[in-house]
Amino acid sequence: MTLLWSGLALGAVYALVAIGYNIVFLSSHTFNFAQAQLVMVGTFVAYTGLVVLRLPVLVVALAATVIVMVLAGLEERFAVRPVPDHQTQLVTTLGVATLLNGATQLVWGGQPLTVPFFGGNDVVDLFGGRVYPAEIALLVLAVALVVGLSVLAKRSMLGLALMGMSEDREAAALRGVDVRKLAFWAFAASGALAGLLGLFVGPKTYAVATLGAALALKGFVALAIGGFGSLPGALIGGLTVGLVESLAARYLGAEYSNLAVFAVLLLVLMTRPSGLFGRVTERVV
Amino acid sequence: MGARLTSVWRGVRAVPPWVFPLVAVAVVLLLPTLGLGFSATRQIQLACVLALLVSGLNLSLGYAGQLALGQAAMYAAGAYTAGLMSVAGVTDILLQLLAAGVVALLVGLLTGVPGLRLGSWSLAMTSFFLVLLLPDVIAIFGHLTGGRNGLSGIAGPSLFGAPLGDASYYVVIVLVATGWFVVMRNIVVSRHGIAFRVLKQSPVLASSMGISVFRMKLLGYALGAIPAGLAGALFANLDLYISPESFGFTLATSVLAASILGGSTSVYGAAVGAAIMQLGPNQSTAFQQYALVVYGVFLIVGGVLLNGGLARVFRTLVARWDRAAGLVGTPPPDPDAAGRVQQMHGATLEVTGVEKAFGGNRALRGVSLRAEPGRVTALIGPNGSGKTTLLNMICGFYRTDAGRITLGGREVQGLAADRVARAGVARTFQTPNIPEGITVAEAVAAGRYTSERASMLSAVLRSPRFRRVRAADADRVRRALALVGMAELALTEAASLPLGMRRLLEVARALVGEPRVLLLDEVASGLDEGEVERLAATVRRIRAAGGTVVLVEHNFDLVLSLADEIVVLAQGEVIAHGSPEVIEHDPRVLAEYLGVRPEDLGDRLAEGASVLSQEGR
Repeated sequence: MTLLWSGLALGAVYALVAIGYNIVFLSSHTFNFAQAQLVMVGTFVAYTGLVVLRLPVLVVALAATVIVMVLAGLEERFAVRPVPDHQTQLVTTLGVATLLNGATQLVWGGQPLTVPFFGGNDVVDLFGGRVYPAEIALLVLAVALVVGLSVLAKRSMLGLALMGMSEDREAAALRGVDVRKLAFWAFAASGALAGLLGLFVGPKTYAVATLGAALALKGFVALAIGGFGSLPGALIGGLTVGLVESLAARYLGAEYSNLAVFAVLLLVLMTRPSGLFGRVTERVV
Repeated sequence: MGARLTSVWRGVRAVPPWVFPLVAVAVVLLLPTLGLGFSATRQIQLACVLALLVSGLNLSLGYAGQLALGQAAMYAAGAYTAGLMSVAGVTDILLQLLAAGVVALLVGLLTGVPGLRLGSWSLAMTSFFLVLLLPDVIAIFGHLTGGRNGLSGIAGPSLFGAPLGDASYYVVIVLVATGWFVVMRNIVVSRHGIAFRVLKQSPVLASSMGISVFRMKLLGYALGAIPAGLAGALFANLDLYISPESFGFTLATSVLAASILGGSTSVYGAAVGAAIMQLGPNQSTAFQQYALVVYGVFLIVGGVLLNGGLARVFRTLVARWDRAAGLVGTPPPDPDAAGRVQQMHGATLEVTGVEKAFGGNRALRGVSLRAEPGRVTALIGPNGSGKTTLLNMICGFYRTDAGRITLGGREVQGLAADRVARAGVARTFQTPNIPEGITVAEAVAAGRYTSERASMLSAVLRSPRFRRVRAADADRVRRALALVGMAELALTEAASLPLGMRRLLEVARALVGEPRVLLLDEVASGLDEGEVERLAATVRRIRAAGGTVVLVEHNFDLVLSLADEIVVLAQGEVIAHGSPEVIEHDPRVLAEYLGVRPEDLGDRLAEGASVLSQEGR
């Protein structure tokens, strides 16, 4: 059970990254390669705030949210908006990801840094397994976000505008939705989320410069399993990846964990390319 | 440009273009004998290796339009293949290159098939994943590969039993890289290269021309793995030591940065980008810690500002100097080509009871029509009446809910779009769909991609068959262009043409493949009077030659003057069909299509009104 908890919590991390991908994807059909790197920067900010500067948790949370939101805003303004097609956006957002990887390595070095969890580090017994408070928080957060965002998307004016924009950008613009502004704020919001997540993800994964690539890929697998644009799909996909990874590492050996996730990805792509919750759209000339 | 400079430029342009890379290779080969030091020759060798990697990526990213990040993994596959062979005693470099290329190709195929199932970023991620897996795989086979400690004990390379010294290995590396660039160049300038650009422009266009989108993408990605495998084998024999660290994310992004810098849609851009990257930043060890930051900036700036890379800058300059030097000629008129259409083998297109619903919207309800060879069948109807939907069903872009579509008696409904196209359906698009960066003649020639086969291997080897097909392509293209009155534009960049010309180009492109049925989708809109006349004349010639033409058109006068049979659609149903004379006076058509209510009918239409009153009785 301990293993399951650990796997599920790891899965929650991937789900959270996948949710970030989805927020941007739904608003502008852009795939933000750097989403995971934004989360990674969040973990480093959390480390500096909590360990080096010993600031109060709320201040650190606010700082991480704002700093990463600004980074995401800059990314949208300079690396996404001026680029017309999605193919080139892949290249430029990958550029941002690489830049963030390199920059964090320069600032914080290559060694993993331990980020303490503000809710304590005392192991809790739950359903016959031992689980850290940070892991419970991650799971709760992932589920709450999926539920909250789904309600927001269906009930609020903002959510409806976002959905409309996702369906047909031009039509949404003609209905008075400021698509540019909305796309920007969706990007910024995904950044703010990524920054805040740093406080939760860091205790689970450490703050380390190689985190970005691993999170990016596993978050993508979560998305592929769940279907692009689907929030519940992101959650289920993420949890699946986390479990597969943990179980493979435990029973096959550490060097098999990534391979197992890759095998799952290939399996999904071959059997259900649109994911569990994805929609198949017919092509239009 | 001054007069002297222009004459110099004319002289330069008189030299066959392949001479320049040849001279460059010769210079690079001679450099060591001119006293270049060890570290500099090593950098050139590494630049050649990087150029191979970048070139492979260009094939996938620049030509097939798929971002792939797995070059580093294919490179590692090649390097470990060669390294393990060498440890096992097989040191012949040719055997190693062959094996490394094959292994890399297999890795490419294996990861490309699932990776291409999803949209644009799916292959990028799947191939990127390979790079993450690399250390794990190497660790799993640790007893063979040495795991994280790396593989040592690689013996020096040999050729036909004779060991290769440093000087001769230098020559081998340069020649292998050169050989690949020749292969790459031959692929890119052949019809396959044009097919890649069509695919990159629009998968819809590609499949409407009979190109299988999936196979073509896979081909681009998997072929791109071969040079990476070769590069791996060369690298293993250069350092005689390989470890997982050489094949990480830094290398993956370095390859992409070099590709963006040199220009992804370019053959020699790969060499230039790789050379700049290797001889510039990669050389200094102090750079290593800033490498990722710099690559990141390269990718952003390259993507935003330098679209097309140095290759594009170079092409723009050449075009400008050509114009200044008065070198932009028009091809000589070809009197006997003008205006003739070869006998066309049109087939009967029969649509029977076709239904299609999008959710609750019933776009087509039991539509039937018949288009026969030697006749022009026009399809008219108000916006949203289902004309284009019907065209898309015929082409195989949508699946029919019910009904049959046959071409020459053969059922085509349910076939994928590229197979429908290969069965003989050619079409034009409402919004002309023309790939960037190719000439009018090349864009038209693309229409013949599937009508006469010439394999990629024959293009690489320039076999007699390839040359014959190429000559036939050129001949047909000349005639098709003459037919639509665009012969003098053959060498102009296709995408830069005004709208009307682009429409006529699409007609020519649809025509060169000798289709059995030709679907023209609102082909006259946006054309000026002269162009409409030329279009009408072209359609009449196609009809006279025995072609089957389906014309979707809003220009009522044009339809009346061209069509033998008119089918009128409204709200997804056929409301009338018959000869132009019948349709012109059909009251329902006038009401639905022209928005004329019976009581508004003027004198000219009184006849129609009387038909209505007779019917009403």
